[in-house]
Amino acid sequence: MKMLEGLIERFPGRETQIEMLHNLLGDDAAADAIFVHGGPSVGKTSIVKAFLEEKKFKHAVANLIECYSTKILLETILNELTSHRIDPTDPQPVAKCDNLMDFLNNLSNFQLKRAVIVLDKAEQLRNMDFNLLPSFLRLRELSGIPSISVILISEIAFQKFNIKGNVVDPVKLPFPQYSKEEIIAILAMDFDGCSKLLQEHYDDALEVDVNFYLNYLNVFLSTFYRACRDLCELRYMARINFVKYCEPIHRKDCSAADSMALWRHIAPTLKSSLEVLYLRFSGQSGALGAQALELPFYAKYLLIAAYLASYNPAKDDKRLFMKHHGKKTKTMKDVKAKSKVSEQLSTQLGPKPFSFDRLLAIFYAILDDKVGFNNNLLVQVSSLVELQLLTSLSDNYNLDGQKYKCTVNFEFIQTISKMVGFNIRKYLSDFSHI
Amino acid sequence: MDSSGFLKVKNDIKNKLLQQGPLEHCESERKQVFNLLQRTIEDGESNSALLIGPRGSGKTTLVNDALEELCSDKNFASKAVLVHLHGLIHTDDRLALIAATKQMNLDNAVDGKVFGSFAENLAFLLACLRTGNKKTSKSVLFIIEDFDLFCSHHNQTLLYNLFDISQSAQAPICVLGITCRLDVIELLEKRVKSRFSHRQYFLYAGGENAEVDGLNLRMEKIRNLLTINNNKSNIVNNWNKSVSKLCSDKKFRTLNQRLMDIDLNERTLKNVLLTLVSKLKEKSLELKIEDFETELNEFEADEVIEQLHDLSVLELCLLISMKHHIQIYDNQPMNFEMVYTRFVKFANASSHIQNVQRPVVMKAFEHIKHMELIQNITGGSGRLQKEYQMFKLLVTSDQIMESVKGWQGLPTEVSQWAISSLI
Repeated sequence: MKMLEGLIERFPGRETQIEMLHNLLGDDAAADAIFVHGGPSVGKTSIVKAFLEEKKFKHAVANLIECYSTKILLETILNELTSHRIDPTDPQPVAKCDNLMDFLNNLSNFQLKRAVIVLDKAEQLRNMDFNLLPSFLRLRELSGIPSISVILISEIAFQKFNIKGNVVDPVKLPFPQYSKEEIIAILAMDFDGCSKLLQEHYDDALEVDVNFYLNYLNVFLSTFYRACRDLCELRYMARINFVKYCEPIHRKDCSAADSMALWRHIAPTLKSSLEVLYLRFSGQSGALGAQALELPFYAKYLLIAAYLASYNPAKDDKRLFMKHHGKKTKTMKDVKAKSKVSEQLSTQLGPKPFSFDRLLAIFYAILDDKVGFNNNLLVQVSSLVELQLLTSLSDNYNLDGQKYKCTVNFEFIQTISKMVGFNIRKYLSDFSHI
Repeated sequence: MDSSGFLKVKNDIKNKLLQQGPLEHCESERKQVFNLLQRTIEDGESNSALLIGPRGSGKTTLVNDALEELCSDKNFASKAVLVHLHGLIHTDDRLALIAATKQMNLDNAVDGKVFGSFAENLAFLLACLRTGNKKTSKSVLFIIEDFDLFCSHHNQTLLYNLFDISQSAQAPICVLGITCRLDVIELLEKRVKSRFSHRQYFLYAGGENAEVDGLNLRMEKIRNLLTINNNKSNIVNNWNKSVSKLCSDKKFRTLNQRLMDIDLNERTLKNVLLTLVSKLKEKSLELKIEDFETELNEFEADEVIEQLHDLSVLELCLLISMKHHIQIYDNQPMNFEMVYTRFVKFANASSHIQNVQRPVVMKAFEHIKHMELIQNITGGSGRLQKEYQMFKLLVTSDQIMESVKGWQGLPTEVSQWAISSLI
């Protein structure tokens, strides 16, 4: 019981799960297969690992992403169960297993007393050999070892595992997402690390206490909690923003007790960092990426031409790009086109392929000054392909009738057009009628 | 009540739940299987048979029970050899043959020999067992578990050879297949089927009269599973008393009927009981009906709805936007752009939802995809950008509405939007 309390203290908000794990595996009569499931970063793997280590059970943890083939998976499990260290000069597993039969033979040779096999990312088992998933769920029966248990850890529900119906139901252990209070409790454990971070940034030691940090977390979560419940991401964001939060105190603009002033100061920062959630770069969003990319003048126009070719139907070209295309009579079709719903807009359905000739024609139509058709221009097309702003659809041997697609999105091309002073909406048939 | 006594009792109950129970209500089948095996051993008669029944109906228990009695004969080892094959372990005929060789203790005889064909190899194995006339030769019992999986092996070579031998009386063997597939005969190729004796035994979960008084049988089973007999201490007596009180309770019977209406499988019942027994505390060594009910509710709960509760508000908004899409466009597939446009319209109109950057929404979308709540239906997606790949929704709109209802702290605007797509 003492050991359980230690674990519960280490993992706040997971009391039920830890107790359940103890109930199912703790004593001699252990459940044979347990299915642990829950969203990302809710502590599934770390709690299972910590529990098994505390209990000093012999266990093997295999991540199915690392062990992507049957042979690697089975040999890894055996290596870990026998605590076999792989010698780097002569990397040999403790026993060779190409298939489940060898694995079971070896397993019974080792005469294990009490063993637990943990399979992380177990959803990958569905894409591996058909016999692995049902066999691991019935490992105790198949191996004949009465004290072996298997824990499967996965992010998706068990009902999606039932592929062929020959799967035995394990005991399920759900790990629900943390509530807001629990997230605060977990993030508060980070306090020491954060105050150390402060000391690194501001040389004179800023005196902050836990309550100050908790206030900060409340402010922080009020912005972030709706967009993200992933603990790892929240922790990272909380850390990098804490330094900025303390900045006015360091500059002696306001005191640590003045939470309103601090909030006014941090709110815009939090908002801008919400925009880069998950992206892990500071202060550069997609539109800025287009600015950072320094393309030559003609290449920009080529890219715009490619975008227009990808998202306009060819039959509209005459109307959009020719000066004297004659008067167009309104038809029923045009009226319908105006009332197009957004789901049928071509900007929503993705780029269509276009030929090289069409690209050049549009390029010359939208460019005001005359430029000779030469090699330098052609090279720019291939460098756009190289930069993956265009993709080539036909193979490289076919010189005639090359087909391309434009892969940049609307915001990107709008930034590019603004840079050269070109109104792209005027030339897109999705928008031109508005 | 000391704690070691309590732990021991708890362990006993758990062990009883985890182990295969004793054989019940299939005496006649057991007798038939036993006679079949015995005739092969004693008289050198070759046989083949299939044992068919749903999962958890006691097929393996029945065979093991029969074999146990046969093995208790002290001359068994000199008269017969037992070969266990399992469809999940021996995934092709080569492995099955290696395992058979090993179990027949013929490793030395085969060592270094090269065989032209599979049949030759098997014939050699059997010939090794035959010494002298029909009376003195050893008979071989092949127990094949998950028989249906052997049917998918290349050309069904192993089955063909085994049935061929059993039919042509080359050596006394008995082939007993165990499977849960009722259509297993249809899986056999014609040439294999014609060599099979078509002897089939059917087992039913809970015996033949399960339809009539399934509930009584089930209650009897629970009583048997939970009662401990080997120990007559005070704790055990109290426990047994509480179990019989529980089993005679009317409400408990209704709850069990509810469980049986969903799932007849014994494994499900055992899992429920195992979790309950595991949770027992030292203070109250007694199964409570309320606990059983909570556990049953948990079992009935929809996993997908639980999964939806773990999402962030942003992710839920995306799902609601997808729900509106399939309702408006009659289950047409959608791509990220469409979902995003619909979401942005809502986010602009509402005051509570902050407008987040497109890449963040993309990440949320990918998380939904990773949880397999939506599925990609664009074939060969390598070329197409991920914004434009088409998806279909794997969650029903009812499930989404259900989770919106049960969600705590959801902004009112979102729940209103979930009900009506008008903004």
